[in-house]
Amino acid sequence: MDIAAGLLHGFALALQPLNLLWCFVGVLLGTIVGIMPGLGPPATIAMLLPLTALMNPAGAIIMLAGIYYGAKYGGSTTSILLNVPGESASVVTCLDGYAMARKGRAGPALGIAAIASFIAGTVGVLGLMLVAPPLAKLALAFSSPEYFALMSLGLAMVVLLAGKSMVKALLAMLVGLWIAGIGTDVFTSQSRFTFGHMELLSGIDFVVVAIGIFALGEVLANMEAREEPQVLPVPKGLRNLLPTMQDLRDCRFAFAQGSVLGFLVGVLPGAGSTIASFISYGVEKAFSKRRDQFGTGVIEGVAAPEGANNSETGGALVPLLTLGIPGSGTTAILLAALVLWGFKPGPLFIAENPGMFWGLVASMYIGNVMLLVLNLPLVPLFAQVLRTPVYVLYPLIVGISIVGVYAGSGSLFDLYLLAGFGLLGYLMRKLDYPSAPLILGLVLGGAMERALRQSLMMSEGHLSILVSRPISAVMLALALVVLCIPLFSRFNTWRLRAMEQEES
Amino acid sequence: MKLALAFLAVLVSSSALAFKPTRTIEVVVHTGPGGGSDILARAVAGMIEKEKLLPVRMQVVNKTGGGGAVAAAYLAEKAGDENTIGFFTGVWLTGPLTSPEYKVTLRDLTPVARLVLEPALIAVKADAPFKTMADFINAAKQNPGQLKQSGGSPTSRDNVVRQLLQKHTGARWAYISFPGGGERIAALLGGHVNMMVIEPAEAGEHIRAGNMRVLAQVSDSRLPGFPGVPTLKEAGFDIPAVPQVRGVVAPPKIPAENVAYWEDVLLKLTKTASWKKFLADNQFEDGYQNAQDLTKFYDEFTARMREILKEAGLKLVR
Repeated sequence: MDIAAGLLHGFALALQPLNLLWCFVGVLLGTIVGIMPGLGPPATIAMLLPLTALMNPAGAIIMLAGIYYGAKYGGSTTSILLNVPGESASVVTCLDGYAMARKGRAGPALGIAAIASFIAGTVGVLGLMLVAPPLAKLALAFSSPEYFALMSLGLAMVVLLAGKSMVKALLAMLVGLWIAGIGTDVFTSQSRFTFGHMELLSGIDFVVVAIGIFALGEVLANMEAREEPQVLPVPKGLRNLLPTMQDLRDCRFAFAQGSVLGFLVGVLPGAGSTIASFISYGVEKAFSKRRDQFGTGVIEGVAAPEGANNSETGGALVPLLTLGIPGSGTTAILLAALVLWGFKPGPLFIAENPGMFWGLVASMYIGNVMLLVLNLPLVPLFAQVLRTPVYVLYPLIVGISIVGVYAGSGSLFDLYLLAGFGLLGYLMRKLDYPSAPLILGLVLGGAMERALRQSLMMSEGHLSILVSRPISAVMLALALVVLCIPLFSRFNTWRLRAMEQEES
Repeated sequence: MKLALAFLAVLVSSSALAFKPTRTIEVVVHTGPGGGSDILARAVAGMIEKEKLLPVRMQVVNKTGGGGAVAAAYLAEKAGDENTIGFFTGVWLTGPLTSPEYKVTLRDLTPVARLVLEPALIAVKADAPFKTMADFINAAKQNPGQLKQSGGSPTSRDNVVRQLLQKHTGARWAYISFPGGGERIAALLGGHVNMMVIEPAEAGEHIRAGNMRVLAQVSDSRLPGFPGVPTLKEAGFDIPAVPQVRGVVAPPKIPAENVAYWEDVLLKLTKTASWKKFLADNQFEDGYQNAQDLTKFYDEFTARMREILKEAGLKLVR
């Protein structure tokens, strides 16, 4: 079936009233799940799975996919308003999103997150529709050495996330890498740094660390300040609550690169949306003219990661639908759902079930429009949250953090960890250590170590495998370039200063 | 006194014979939503409800972490709770062998029944030069350590099959751990490794699409879905067919009568048409065993695993 005919057929299916309803139910549930920290799409989909057995499979997959990409829209809400990341893919959104909220620009931040999500989400579906089969082959060309190079490139972004002191940033990153090492080593089944606690055997959940350091650390640091309890500024009027034309212009590059990078990272089964959002943020900062203002509330610092984590969804469906290979928890349960309904997800799935595939693609175009329409009016509403006085807001943040962590794992031990990381976050703020490098090290550390050790097992211990494969060599070279960016900018500053002196 | 005791025993057993769950059954699994145990538990809950085998509903609870350690400890905390059961896998037996952190093992819980055996296939990429298991073994002998297999952790069944084959033939090849099932398949299809041990339901579509070839089956008899593929024994490699096992346990201190009740419910389940269809769809084998046989199975399985893992060079802690 060619693309035009397929799409026409798909829209005919997706526009049936019942399927439209399921699409709406899915994206609405997704938005809610995304907003609530701790409750993620995998748990929601698992809970709904028995119900879907009674539904028409096309309607069911449309609804479940709606939950999946809808959650990416909602994830930014608590990141921006409360510094509590709603989903792991929205951690990096905290950096500039929350800074914008503190400057009274929560509305535009929420608005741009929805707009970036819409643009990138749509680009992701376009990619899924147009280039899925060839890209699936590319995904297979990626193996451990390439993943190691990708993670190195990601880790090199630390030089862009560093604040005033590079040494402090590197130290924070090392702590993140260490935390990533806690748990059972997959290659030897030996436990590392578990100190006899079985709860640590499977490692520390990244969301616990992120919520502790970002949200609790922030609350503790602000409480200590003991200033006059002041309400964060929230401008009146709808126009001030939505992004301006200038904001949209500032985000043009972020929209484009976030969409493309997010989709490409999504196609790789071993990467994921958190990595996509970090890389997109790093790239945005690397190419920005106002690099030094990132972290203080720059709108493209919200648009890039929020876009990337949405187009990642379209990318992640590529290996699932074209190969039957799931790359994440959510796609794994979508795979289980397809099997439950009697389908055989695999290389022949699209060819044998064109109706399902095109119906899903068409529903994703519709669902993204629904999400934009659903989320933009919510912006002024959510922005009012910041009108709450701090003596209400801070307990609220602490409460949401605790509920979020407990809902995710149901483990009291995770709450102790949350308290510990909250304290760490507070100390890091006091001593002026940046928290983003720690999170970056934690996100990438595990996958990077695995990829390196797998590569060395493949090559029988020869490091040359990392540079003798073209994709891996190119990415490692890029990582080197990124590492040199601070040198370039320092050189540039010298040059400018020298020119000024010459002129004067 | 003796008489009184006997009387008491009769009283207890007759009251317990009338055991029936009184509230929603909490079903503890050690994987997150979408994991193997989670899917099995939800499917079983669905079938039991459909066939009306229980007077109450079943609610799956995910206690993830530590490869079963957290779920087992949670069950142990619920000692005596009559409305809780758990789904175990072989990991609950092998995990404690290498990690001292396991405070509770399967032996501390009340065995109920074994449910399924998951057979496996040995697969290579379709364009690989190996047409039979012997081809692969010979190639591995000629290039010791050069061929690679993708699999899970070193305590997983994937590696156990490798260890057994290596010991039986004297061939040697590398084993590369990937935490996710999708990554293992991607590594094979991308040509980065040469062989993998794969579940039949996972392999089916790749074989049909012509991307993968199966050399042998890790099962005692040929699976209905793969009538033309020899078992390892038929292919000339007489090693035990190590299945992945799944079954049901209860918290400690559960009376024998309750166990009998659950054995009965699960046995009835395995006789239903929906169960047979579930097994066929997933290419599982019916592995029903009652609590008594299951205890014997623990011993055999653990003894064999201990030997295999020691030979694989892992550090055993118990």
